[in-house]
Amino acid sequence: MSAKVGGFVLTSSPHIFGKTSTPRIMMTVMVALAPAVVMSMAYFGVRVALLYALSATVAMATEAVTKMARQQDWRSIGDGSAALTGVLLVMTLPPSISPLLVALASAFSIFIGKEVFGGLGANIFNPALVGRAFLSAAYPVAMTQYSPPRSLFAFLGQSPDAVSQATPLAAARFEGITTSWMDLFFGQVGGSIGETSTAALLIGGVILLWFRVINWRLVVAYLGTVFVLVGIAHLTDPDQYPPALFHLLSGGLVLAAFFMVTDMVTSPDTDLGVVILGVGAGLIVITIRLFGGFPEGVMYSILLMNAATPIINRYTDTRPFGSIPQKGQ
Amino acid sequence: MAHLTFKKGVHPPSHKSFTERRPIERMPVGDALSVPLTQHLGVPATPVVRKGDRVEVGDLLGDASKLISARIHSPAAGTVKRIVDQPLPGGKLAQYVEITVDREATEQHTFSETDVDLGAITREQILETMRTAGVVGMGGATFPTDVKFSPMPDKSFDVLVINGAECEPYLTCDHRVMVEETEALMDGCRLLHKTYGFKAIYIAIEANKPDAINAFEDVVAVYSDLPIKVASLTTKYPQGAEKTLIRTVTGRIIPTGKLPLDVGAVVCNVQTLFAIYEAVHFGKPVIERVVTVSGAGIESPKNIRAMIGTPLDRLVEYCGGITESVNKVVAGGPMTGMALPTLDYSVSKGSSGFLFLTNADVEIESPCIKCGRCVAVCPMNLMPLKLAAFSRAGRFSEAQRLAVNSCFECGSCSFVCPAKINIVAYVRHAKHHIRVHGSREDKR
Repeated sequence: MSAKVGGFVLTSSPHIFGKTSTPRIMMTVMVALAPAVVMSMAYFGVRVALLYALSATVAMATEAVTKMARQQDWRSIGDGSAALTGVLLVMTLPPSISPLLVALASAFSIFIGKEVFGGLGANIFNPALVGRAFLSAAYPVAMTQYSPPRSLFAFLGQSPDAVSQATPLAAARFEGITTSWMDLFFGQVGGSIGETSTAALLIGGVILLWFRVINWRLVVAYLGTVFVLVGIAHLTDPDQYPPALFHLLSGGLVLAAFFMVTDMVTSPDTDLGVVILGVGAGLIVITIRLFGGFPEGVMYSILLMNAATPIINRYTDTRPFGSIPQKGQ
Repeated sequence: MAHLTFKKGVHPPSHKSFTERRPIERMPVGDALSVPLTQHLGVPATPVVRKGDRVEVGDLLGDASKLISARIHSPAAGTVKRIVDQPLPGGKLAQYVEITVDREATEQHTFSETDVDLGAITREQILETMRTAGVVGMGGATFPTDVKFSPMPDKSFDVLVINGAECEPYLTCDHRVMVEETEALMDGCRLLHKTYGFKAIYIAIEANKPDAINAFEDVVAVYSDLPIKVASLTTKYPQGAEKTLIRTVTGRIIPTGKLPLDVGAVVCNVQTLFAIYEAVHFGKPVIERVVTVSGAGIESPKNIRAMIGTPLDRLVEYCGGITESVNKVVAGGPMTGMALPTLDYSVSKGSSGFLFLTNADVEIESPCIKCGRCVAVCPMNLMPLKLAAFSRAGRFSEAQRLAVNSCFECGSCSFVCPAKINIVAYVRHAKHHIRVHGSREDKR
């Protein structure tokens, strides 16, 4: 018999654990973003690769500095959430955005969007979108100039032209111009860095759904609400409102549906809660896109519904087993 | 075959291959036993022996002092060496009767068939036999069985569920008992059926034990007088939890705060049923049980029929010893069992297994990211992330509003938590606070 008779680890049950961990989840999201990131570099040049790196670095540095100032463990940046925020932020910005603004927005995302609330898990608003909202308010001109994508095979060339081009949504809304379906699906259109290639985003979305990182009910509720209501609008007045599929494929809707509205920290905790969030956000998108002053409404739809998440959580607790008194028997 | 199941739950790795095909071995009689007088829920048994007393196999060591208590008997012949206070797994102190075993006398002792007329046995006789034999729930809850089978005058039950789910990873003791003692268990069902007249008896077994399912299917026809069905359950944790099990096999939902009795059901673990059978047929008290000794850290994992009071280090010795890499010892299953600081413990009526784990990490908690995985797996449909947060914040009335007392601590939430938060520990903290101080005295 072994001489070892004590000094065992003493913890409360359970004694075995699943393999999931926060860094692993963040890594999965990064992997799911990869196709869209690659496509964005193809369309908008290697310049955006530098923007991604810059934004992720600033995000992590901001978190580390904030943690140190609060005398907490700065090594939390290793969980990957700050880097992920940095990458997502860049995906929502116009291709011609200056590196300085990217760095500024990235620091804003992490500091105001996340750390002042208490860091990971405690923030109310999606940090990347907080950064984007900041730029939209402070630098409206830079945030509405969309340089056109280059042809897929010229992505090693020079930096994008400063010539601005209307995004498909703006073109449809203000000029009545439609964009080809193929261009919309593969992303050969004007728009924010990471939002244009629906095909690449779908691949990422499938990865997230497959590994159950995101709740399919939220994706369906969000996209479904937009699709159905815009479809009704299109049927009632096809001249004024573009087809429902056009709205799904254009702008940041697909990016947001898989990577932003589904952010676990800022979305509700239950299946019922996320459906309410998704429908609510979908309604806001439609309201802004069809009746508002902006061509795009995805960012506000998520930020506004993020604000509603705590109250949704308050009223959508699951019903404990046995809490319904049983009839008969 | 379609398997029955419950909503939610988790799929931990089973780890049953260590022992699931190993027949039960009866451990040779040892030199010493250390029998705790607290082996059941309720009031500890009162010692009726003193230092130096001679005891024979089956003699009473401790008597049930109150209604909810249980008798403790001597598993061996020998001499009472002393009665000492020692910790139980979990840390509470209990009296232990230490016995110096007379091996020869113990080995010679046998239990013979009783002269009870099995055809005319009454409910009172069965209850008295359970009480006399000290039968308690051997699935781990250790509630006195005679109390469980004595419904209040205004209540009755018509469904019996034999719980052979054994959903905890590693454990295979119930599995082996089902395969090796199938007919004894069926005879046990017949005894209970004769006295209670059940409308239905279900033998509930997880699908990962096809040999046990087949063993019962093979003999069901012989017991055509019984309304018995084998219920094959999906392999999923915690399939064997009482409340969800009753719903799974009968469709009846136990209201919050109520008992199986309130929906006319009674659940009995496989080894409890075997103990009832032995008590009625042989007048044998609960002086032994089958335990699984398993894990990567034990040389030869086994299913052992061991005397109550067998010291843990003797079990380890019988299984070839533990390896140097063992860093955690667990009494019970890995999802709900208790970690032990040393090997100074012994087998009791609720010991389903002892596990020797080799790479148990101490998980460091990180912030909750509200991913909702815990909500998605909770078999009681609770909000584990909120229970943990309220417990940590000392807001116990909020935890109570969210039915924290419905949690039976299966550990599914902690198992899936990516932030490695031990939600179960927070839940226990809240339940304890509410039990002791009430929920109104929130920590401010």
